[in-house]
Amino acid sequence: MEINLRELTISKAHQLLIDQKIKVKDLVDVYLGEIKEKNKDINAYLEIYNNLDEQIEKAQELIDSGGATLLTGIPIAIKDNILYKGQIASASSLILENYVATYDSFVVERLKDEGVIFLGRTNMDEFAMGSSTETSAFGVTKNPHDISRVPGGSSGGSASAVAGDMALVALGTETCGSVRQPASFCGLVGLKPSYGAVSRSGIIAMGSSLDQVGPMAKTVEEVEIVFKAISKYDKKDSTSIPEEKRDIEKKPLKKKIGIPREFLESGGIDKAVLNNFEETCQKLKSLGYEIVDISLPILKYSLAVYYIIMPAEVSSNLARYDGIRYGLSIDADNLFDVYAKSRASGFGKEVRRRILLGTYVLSHGYYDAYYNTAIKVRKMIKDEINKAFLDIDAFITPTVPFLPFKLGEKLNDPVSMYLCDIFSAPANLANIPAITIPSGKTNEGLPFGVQITAPFLREDVLFQIGKDIESLQ
Amino acid sequence: MDITEIKKLANLSRIDIKDDEAKAMAQDFDAILAYVDQIKEVSEEIGNKDESITDKENYFLYNIMREDEVANNDKGKREDILKNAPDTQDGFIKVKQIL
Repeated sequence: MEINLRELTISKAHQLLIDQKIKVKDLVDVYLGEIKEKNKDINAYLEIYNNLDEQIEKAQELIDSGGATLLTGIPIAIKDNILYKGQIASASSLILENYVATYDSFVVERLKDEGVIFLGRTNMDEFAMGSSTETSAFGVTKNPHDISRVPGGSSGGSASAVAGDMALVALGTETCGSVRQPASFCGLVGLKPSYGAVSRSGIIAMGSSLDQVGPMAKTVEEVEIVFKAISKYDKKDSTSIPEEKRDIEKKPLKKKIGIPREFLESGGIDKAVLNNFEETCQKLKSLGYEIVDISLPILKYSLAVYYIIMPAEVSSNLARYDGIRYGLSIDADNLFDVYAKSRASGFGKEVRRRILLGTYVLSHGYYDAYYNTAIKVRKMIKDEINKAFLDIDAFITPTVPFLPFKLGEKLNDPVSMYLCDIFSAPANLANIPAITIPSGKTNEGLPFGVQITAPFLREDVLFQIGKDIESLQ
Repeated sequence: MDITEIKKLANLSRIDIKDDEAKAMAQDFDAILAYVDQIKEVSEEIGNKDESITDKENYFLYNIMREDEVANNDKGKREDILKNAPDTQDGFIKVKQIL
């Protein structure tokens, strides 16, 4: 039977599978065919896993025995920084090129239980540091909507895999926009969950106070299904939220959304992006939403705060790559030189830059001016956002200030690359959830996206508003 | 930022760096620090802030302790971990002499 991948969703695939109209193997084979045809140009995947037959058999058994969930047999791509036992997880870095995961990440364990099919691992910016997937040690990934343009990043491989019909859904991770920004650039829905909603166990760390795993898919419904499957308490992550604390009072929506106007104006938005954003807001009014301008001037400092806290955490987290216990090791006469040579050869330019920057903001004499100030401003940002939520359900901005840019366009200008994430930073700093929803395309076919940000643990608000925005397209 | 400062940071970070790269990195640092310096505009306000409402609501921040016991007795796992190490001997990871 012919399967239309463009129109396929988790629910439709599930129905076909449980009605025995298709077998898991048929579905996987269709995706493998697409991958064979497209991946050489797009470079979404670094590797297709060698155990697909085994995974397919297990999923088919679950279906045949009546034990299937919505996710059983669903082909999924995972970012190269998510550990899957027995498989390489390299964070697209030379320093971990041959690193084989010795355990499953929590998210993989959860999805394994549901019998999903992990197709392979996807390309990313090295250690998730970048907004274009160009800092990968294993080549750039291209945007399926226009292969002269970047897919966004750092989870660009995951976004390209779904947008190019090379996976039905994918997992990315983000520290500041690395799920939402590539999802927006590739015309997908992408979710950054509340901090602590999804376990970080088995995720190669970047900025531990900011990192979260998030799903990407063509529709809000699918993102919601994957989120619900992976959003569980995990004792192996000390910041994972216990189940009883997740059960918060969920007030019904006021249908009131705020536009943080000063913040928007500080973002250097392209005219086309701004027009699309205003149009989307107008359309939301037609669905009975009240859209109001709100004043959150503190938000414009978010990215600056992020570029102090993140490198500080990076410099600590990446100290573990020492050429001794795992990863690339360059032999030298003494221990210091083993460290220094292994790290110089194994880390790419952007990673080295951020480690040094983090070392700087934490060093004696600069700690107060940078790191200490940044954590105080972070708290102010959280406070101001939480106060604003007393009156509104959510706030709305464009996801990215501009459209997908050309390969190489921003690679040699770090600050201009960093500005991709200006609208992403508040959610990561304030530990709150945010989602990007496709909001149309340019005449040339480049996707627009809008971002909704909701209070802590209120992913349900994002899904509800997200589905409404989806209905407008 | 000058090359000497960058080299000092590279040394602290245990990363070899060549002169030309240190020079380029110093320029990148200047641009990045010029951007992040804007937080100094708000640092004066910080002293007069009311008590944080986030602190009160920050109910998921608390200490988590466990007994100091071996949690994993999976012998296969040790083998898997050692396979990732560049150099091993007698079931241990081998380190260069440090004394």
